[in-house]
Amino acid sequence: MPPSPRSVPEGMRPSTGAASVDMTVQLAGLTLRSPVMTASGTFASGHEYAEFVELERLGAIVTKGVSLEPWPGNDSPRIAETPSGMLNSIGLQNQGVEKFCEKQLARLGGVDVPVIVNVSGHSIAEYAAVVERLEQEPGVAGYEVNISCPNVDEGGMAFGVGCTPAAAVTRAVRDVTSRPLIVKLSPNVTDIAEIARAVEAEGADAVSLINTLLGMAIDPETRRPRLARVVGGLSGPAIRPVALRMVWQVAQAVALPVVGMGGIMTGEDAVEFMLAGAAAVAVGTANFVDPTSTRRVTDGLREYCVRHGVPRVRDLTGAMDQ
Amino acid sequence: MRTKPERAHPVLERVAVVANDRVTEGVGLLRLRAPRIAATVHSGQFIHLRIAVGADFILRRPFAVHRRDGDVIEVLYRVAGRGTHDLETKRTGQEMDAIGPLGRGWEPGEVSSALLVAGGIGAAPLGMLAEDLAARGVAVSVALGAPSGERLVARGLFERVARRVGVVTEDGSEGETGLVTLLTARWLEQETFDVICACGPEGMARAVAEQARFARVPCLVSLERLMACGVGVCLSCVVSTTHGLKKACKHGPVFDAEEVVWDASESPQRA
Repeated sequence: MPPSPRSVPEGMRPSTGAASVDMTVQLAGLTLRSPVMTASGTFASGHEYAEFVELERLGAIVTKGVSLEPWPGNDSPRIAETPSGMLNSIGLQNQGVEKFCEKQLARLGGVDVPVIVNVSGHSIAEYAAVVERLEQEPGVAGYEVNISCPNVDEGGMAFGVGCTPAAAVTRAVRDVTSRPLIVKLSPNVTDIAEIARAVEAEGADAVSLINTLLGMAIDPETRRPRLARVVGGLSGPAIRPVALRMVWQVAQAVALPVVGMGGIMTGEDAVEFMLAGAAAVAVGTANFVDPTSTRRVTDGLREYCVRHGVPRVRDLTGAMDQ
Repeated sequence: MRTKPERAHPVLERVAVVANDRVTEGVGLLRLRAPRIAATVHSGQFIHLRIAVGADFILRRPFAVHRRDGDVIEVLYRVAGRGTHDLETKRTGQEMDAIGPLGRGWEPGEVSSALLVAGGIGAAPLGMLAEDLAARGVAVSVALGAPSGERLVARGLFERVARRVGVVTEDGSEGETGLVTLLTARWLEQETFDVICACGPEGMARAVAEQARFARVPCLVSLERLMACGVGVCLSCVVSTTHGLKKACKHGPVFDAEEVVWDASESPQRA
């Protein structure tokens, strides 16, 4: 527990200049230079945002989801704006793991930042096959297994809404890698803590949450759904209170580190997630709104620590006062 | 046949409103001081504008750059939803941030004649192209269509720089009565053009593309899609092409009409 600022006499607070806050965190065996990561699908593989932020200052890049074979994704329209957020039903469009290694990973080769590859599959065997292929790539720091995408018919969220399939996917991937393994959980469940415990039991090193919340929108003028696939995943500040509640519940339920995400736009938002129990956080939809969001969130988090006399950012994890 | 001009990296720039006026029914013209974007923008490229901070609509809105005037860029916008209603209230001196220049614009190559086809607000990305082509000595013809005379967009600009401007309205309140494709069909029968550049409702763009193919004239179309990131990340704005799915924000918004798979293309819905 960090000292609560109001409980420390003024003169005894450490004089923390901006540079003196220790921003490193441990996650699933990795040392990250900052707790601020990117959320899968909102940062591609980083190249596009390198024009706006220094990738080396990120805690980690979590890539867009990769499957064994290319996936075409869903029909358009694929997005709809909703109050303080957006719905998407991209449908995990990607070029498949071979092209991913050849193009995206190769491009990140010279960048000094941990690359966590988000893995998708239609079947348990496909998840394992993607990871087996990626095991040959030295540039991969770890995996985030996506059992929570609401936008594909087979696989995706189907694995994330029950303890048995969630555990089976985790086990299948665990069996083929000793690299850090993060499992990304779906909020579209009755008891997310139960799923977290199931993947913990099968050898996950961390859990990340939340993926998008299933939602929909209709255009009253045309009476048509705003998404071609009718339903999609809600993200952005609209879901932040739900995400925060789930991070808090999961952090209490498991011993694993938690990566918290869901509508983080500012440093203060990130602080909330860490206080609720997150060891690290991910910035997603905010990247679309402001391409410098990861930098702003990182700077805001550091400034918070300075302002509150917190010497190590990791001291915030689980430090909510009750 | 498309040449590839150097495309500058996009920048995130604080831009200031110089003027914001309604120019025709439901259409505003926004002038923004944006020296960095103005320095490198090509015709047909777009900016991704963050209209409001702290509002309950959070995404940026993409707008074609209509014209460049020194360090000022102009944006023509149709007031259609939350974002553009808010944009309409911006006053001189107010600031926003913009990402740009983005996307692949018009790259007609070396031509001596060009037919520009604009439907309604589709005139937006064609203004700077008309000026650039005219300045290079290209004979520019513009076919301008709209539902009615008061919804014609950018007619003055085109009449200033083009060799010829033809007007068609659906209700006949200005020019000929009907769809703009009536006029383009006649012109394409009477003479030949080195290139056609079209922007408007997707049905219009598609019809023009078919006329161009029949007349064996290369045709470029600027397509509109719903977009979140604007920089090639989110995969919201995909366009079906003969080479698979392409991103309107990165590979477009201007596409070679021959590569667009129209059947699978969707017109955007406006939020």
